[in-house]
Amino acid sequence: MRIMQYLLLLSLLIALAGSARAIPVFARKYGFQCTMCHTAFPRLNDFGLRYRQNGYQLPGRENEERTVLESPPPFAARLHGGYTSDNFSDTPDAVDVQQFEISGVDILSGGLLGRNIGYIFGYAPRIEGARGLADQPGTVDLANVIFSNIGDSPWLNLRVGRLEGAHTAFSVQRRLTFSPYEIYAFSFPGGIAFADTQTGLEASGHSRMDGWKYAAGWVNGSDTNNSDDGPADFYLRAEKAFGRGEGQTSGQRVGVTGYFGRARPAPELPGTDREDFTRFGVDASLNFKQLNVELEYLTARDAAALWDTADEVTYNGGFAQLNYFPTTNLVGFLRYDLVNAPDDVPIDTGDIRRWTLGGRYYLEDNLAVHLEYSHRTQEFIVGPEGTENFFTTRLDYAF
Amino acid sequence: MRFLWILLLLLIGLALLPYDRLPFASANGEYLANGLLPQVPVPFDNPQTDAKILLGRQLYFDGRLSSDGTISCASCHKPDKGWADTEPVSEGVAHKKGGRNSPSIIDEAYSVPQFWDGRAVHLEKQAVGPVQNPIEMDLTAEELEFRLNHIPGYVTEFQAVFGERPTIDLMAKAIASFERTVISNNTPYDQFLQGNRSAMSQAAMRGMHLFNGKGHCTACHSGPTFSDSNYHNLGIGYANGKYADVGRYGVTKDPKDMGAFKTPMLRNVAQTPPYLHDGSEATLMDVINLYDRGGIPNPNLDPAMTPLNLTAREKSDLEAFLVALSGPYPVYTAPPLPNPEITAQELSAMLKGGNR
Repeated sequence: MRIMQYLLLLSLLIALAGSARAIPVFARKYGFQCTMCHTAFPRLNDFGLRYRQNGYQLPGRENEERTVLESPPPFAARLHGGYTSDNFSDTPDAVDVQQFEISGVDILSGGLLGRNIGYIFGYAPRIEGARGLADQPGTVDLANVIFSNIGDSPWLNLRVGRLEGAHTAFSVQRRLTFSPYEIYAFSFPGGIAFADTQTGLEASGHSRMDGWKYAAGWVNGSDTNNSDDGPADFYLRAEKAFGRGEGQTSGQRVGVTGYFGRARPAPELPGTDREDFTRFGVDASLNFKQLNVELEYLTARDAAALWDTADEVTYNGGFAQLNYFPTTNLVGFLRYDLVNAPDDVPIDTGDIRRWTLGGRYYLEDNLAVHLEYSHRTQEFIVGPEGTENFFTTRLDYAF
Repeated sequence: MRFLWILLLLLIGLALLPYDRLPFASANGEYLANGLLPQVPVPFDNPQTDAKILLGRQLYFDGRLSSDGTISCASCHKPDKGWADTEPVSEGVAHKKGGRNSPSIIDEAYSVPQFWDGRAVHLEKQAVGPVQNPIEMDLTAEELEFRLNHIPGYVTEFQAVFGERPTIDLMAKAIASFERTVISNNTPYDQFLQGNRSAMSQAAMRGMHLFNGKGHCTACHSGPTFSDSNYHNLGIGYANGKYADVGRYGVTKDPKDMGAFKTPMLRNVAQTPPYLHDGSEATLMDVINLYDRGGIPNPNLDPAMTPLNLTAREKSDLEAFLVALSGPYPVYTAPPLPNPEITAQELSAMLKGGNR
């Protein structure tokens, strides 16, 4: 009976949503449909990727661009909410959820401050968790300025501020699923997650013809560092696209990433200083007609003190995601996440596996009905394997 | 497990929903990227008059504006062929052929600049080009003016319209005035923009959405004429490391313009095959397939060109939208010409004989 009620409510929401006609900040500026840049919002297509790497300027049309002062108000928002069921078993400290809820709110702004000077701003307001409202820690996810085509060359672009580092081959901000990339979220205790946005500098560039790209960043790093420690994390990335396209929606792309960081253990141990940790990753995005496969493999090496162990700690993992875009308004996804967790660490964590299956149906370019089921297991050194069954269906919209 | 069932049922249900979305158009015709055509722009120094339009129409159809008397403007911009040519490239005097496709003159009044490489800023500058092109009409300005001044009817008409004897620039003004009457602005798309939601088929509406979205067409084909009046390189004619036609580079000598051509307008595009600057694509679907492949790779390929991954249905929808940009247009026939008994050959002989 409850299922029937739920289906009826969902049908009503879909019917009401059909009349919406909203466009977010960049689409509003140009009068484009969202699908100009997004295969399926929020995921970028090849054109969108070029638009982003060109500092939020249409590729090849930099001289015709309007600045933020000459454009419509550059503000947009993204909201998603619906029904979420998140049930855990044998998982310490996990709280079951079964409710309708507003599960995410983001305020966005972006545009051009001048020719070849763009900016992006993303703010997630603080929302105190309550019945029907998912807890959201207030944070500025993005706040950076990008100086593009320095020296009139695509080989040098500089992004300054709080940014989503290019070391993550697949954007967390623009992923199709609500379930996390496990390997991007896994870290030493208190440490920074690989995919967290960071504050610092990033230089990047690309060739016009042969698909080469690079990025190099210098960022603050882990929150476990002291405020006077100074930025000490670096990353490097190189990638190559084969065939026509950027590897997002056409062509094939492979990449390698190295991240070199220093962090203090948490809680801080007597006699310890900042300790080294490194990440190396290889990734690929492969396309065949309406199919896309995303592959990521990451290996980690952390100083012993970061895990409070005697020996250096290593772990690895990755994910493989299959995306299928049969029409402009429908996408299906299937992902397998794996984290081969470190052995012999004081934290009771074992290997993590997650299967995620779902799809998004776009009533409008900027309004998706999102369905997702995810099953996660985590081994523990002590006790039985913990499981999580996550199901959500939401309206995800931007305006 | 029950969640899997719910998920499966909902996915099936959603997949069965009709795909029938309208782009951002409102009932009053305001469309953010591609709107209704405004009033025909008329330069202040060449106002439209009935007499001038008639004179321009006569000149447009008059073969005596070519060296051997066989080629008029209408020879390559045929009124009954969408004011274009059905051949990839048109034949000029003595069956000579150029390298570029004859564009339609429908709505050319809105086009700034003119020619595929933009070497003329407006119609008045454009009209003097083909007359003097050796592979098109093959007259010098001097020869042309001689001929017009030795056709008494034209002399009288030029005097009446301009108060002066014929010159090549006045000829161009008259032809430009006539071309400003070749307007098409009542396409199914225009009707749709004005609130008639049934003016376009469902396929065309889906195509409109693609045009402004996944197809990336609006990145260049923007504005009421569906042209940004700019120059882009699609790689057409590029092979073995060479460009068959340097395009805009020939005008600017800027390496960035190598192989770039003006974005053509798309109004009435369905009525003006073949396509592209060299007429190398025979059908609209051929052009769509070219874009779907991301153009032809070359060192100067426009960075907005990326493969589109369109499905067969999406291509068909896009084509339907392009067809909906086509509507009725005026088809003018040749008017009675002044002094038709005076032939091009006689005029040529008169010039050679020193009869000035």
